[in-house]
Amino acid sequence: MLEFIIQNNIVCHAVEAMLFASIACAVLGVIITQVQISSIGFTMAHAAFAGAAVGMFLSLNVTICAIVAGVCVAFLIGPLSDKARVSPDTALGLLFGISMAVAIFFIAYMQTIGQGFSAMGLLFGDVISLYREEIYLLAIICVVSVVFVVVLYKEITGIIFNKRIAESVGIQVKPVYYALLFVIALTVALCLPIIGGLLIYVWLVTPAAIALQFCYRLSAMFVVAPIVAAAISVSGALAGLEYSLPVAPLTAVLFSIVFIAAVFLSPKRRVTFRKS
Amino acid sequence: MASSDPVILLENVYTAYEGADRPTLTDISLSVGKGEFVIIGGPNGAGKTTLLETINGMLPLTHGKAVVCGHDVRGNGVGVRRRVGYLLQNFAFDPLTPFTVEEVVLMGRFGTIGLFRKPGKEDHEAAKRALQLLGIEDLASRPIGQLSGGQQQKVLLAQSLARDPDVLLLDEPFSNLDMFAREAINCLLSRLVASGIAVIIVSHAFDDLPDCRVRVVVMHDGRISLDRECLPADVGLLIRNAGSASLNA
Ligand SMILES: Nc1ncnc2c1ncn2[C@@H]1O[C@H](COP(=O)(O)OP(=O)(O)O)[C@@H](O)[C@H]1O
Ligand SMILES: [Mg+2]
Repeated sequence: MLEFIIQNNIVCHAVEAMLFASIACAVLGVIITQVQISSIGFTMAHAAFAGAAVGMFLSLNVTICAIVAGVCVAFLIGPLSDKARVSPDTALGLLFGISMAVAIFFIAYMQTIGQGFSAMGLLFGDVISLYREEIYLLAIICVVSVVFVVVLYKEITGIIFNKRIAESVGIQVKPVYYALLFVIALTVALCLPIIGGLLIYVWLVTPAAIALQFCYRLSAMFVVAPIVAAAISVSGALAGLEYSLPVAPLTAVLFSIVFIAAVFLSPKRRVTFRKS
Repeated sequence: MASSDPVILLENVYTAYEGADRPTLTDISLSVGKGEFVIIGGPNGAGKTTLLETINGMLPLTHGKAVVCGHDVRGNGVGVRRRVGYLLQNFAFDPLTPFTVEEVVLMGRFGTIGLFRKPGKEDHEAAKRALQLLGIEDLASRPIGQLSGGQQQKVLLAQSLARDPDVLLLDEPFSNLDMFAREAINCLLSRLVASGIAVIIVSHAFDDLPDCRVRVVVMHDGRISLDRECLPADVGLLIRNAGSASLNA
């Protein structure tokens, strides 16, 4: 899609993939951080990772396995915390542990049988060997996540404000909330192959955290977070490919540097300092 | 008591919290008509909050029948909540909450607007009217987290009024309010009651009640132990007597 700017095919695909993935993750990341379900996002990311590892081992479609695992976790959290009488926090901890155990088991096993290379891609991401179809899928999920937020903006702001108050107002909190978890699971699973299971969480949380340093209003966060994420991700992809560095880890480091800079530049901090 | 068709009708209602081995509300029957002012008293843990949330369908009733504003609460809780304003007990917002007062009040109409639609002109006007009713137009653009507890309570009350409800449920609305705010809100409540809204209020402040006929409902241990009409001046005495009677029993 960006061939008219970037001639090199590999670089072009990498930039496109990073662009779409970062926008989708950043938009959902604003919701994840504001509804304070970071631990759900975290656990879903690792479950998708485990699903992908199992899929790869069994020579099934990796993306579909990742989606299934991520969605399963999203819909297991509630019942697990009800039936097993543990707090949602503990339920997430348990699911996270199981996911990591499954993922590491299969990745280690694939190392011993000589399939280690592709397994490493699941861990740290791979933007070099992308198919055209994968890029189209990422473009679609990017559009889906943006449309999801635009269409359900009222309901989402209600849930962000306070779930109980949103319910008391007559908002259909449960269906919207589960739809949200479903879209997060889809996004995580589709972005997993390019960003990697260990790093995807950076894409979900950091852009929103950076935007929060400068924005007082929610609507502004939904605009600033994806723009910042896209700029950093595209820079990371270009720099990584230019200097032959691993793209996703390099970009994750860039995200962290920008976040630290944002904290120091934040006008919010300055105001607080003046008061005390 | 209720002259016309009741807006709230509970018949032999039981409500149990998930995982509890006994119901929190036991055999509650209550009928409230348009323009009635009901004050609910009773000790902490008596089930007052549970009763309000059973009425607006946020808690599922386990037995019995509940019809509110013409909707069956069990089947159409969302429909009920779109006609019922509910001020939750004890709310405080983090200073960083990214919502202005205006946005919070407008949110009161989000259920009524329905899925996939944006707030329109009449929604913004209704939100503005609600702000004016509570005299907090000047706070409209302030972040809600940076207001005092009493101001936040007024904002949430404005939110419940923004959807022009038929029923107003208020759970200890006076807990953070100063004397003047209480008087102002009591005055507002009596106007609302006169306009036909049914108001149910859980409160421990009996000194300055609206100047209208009042119905007192006292709860103990999940049951209604007293339900009768009286003059505003007698409310405190009635609730206190009901309390000591149940202690002696
Ligand atoms: N979420 C809950 N889960 C289980 N029990 C609850 C819950 N909330 C309240 N209860 C119990 O229900 C009873 C009534 O509570 P509530 O309606 O809040 O009382 P009140 O508002 O009159 O002080 C109390 O005994 C309380 O322990
Ligand atoms: Mg209570």
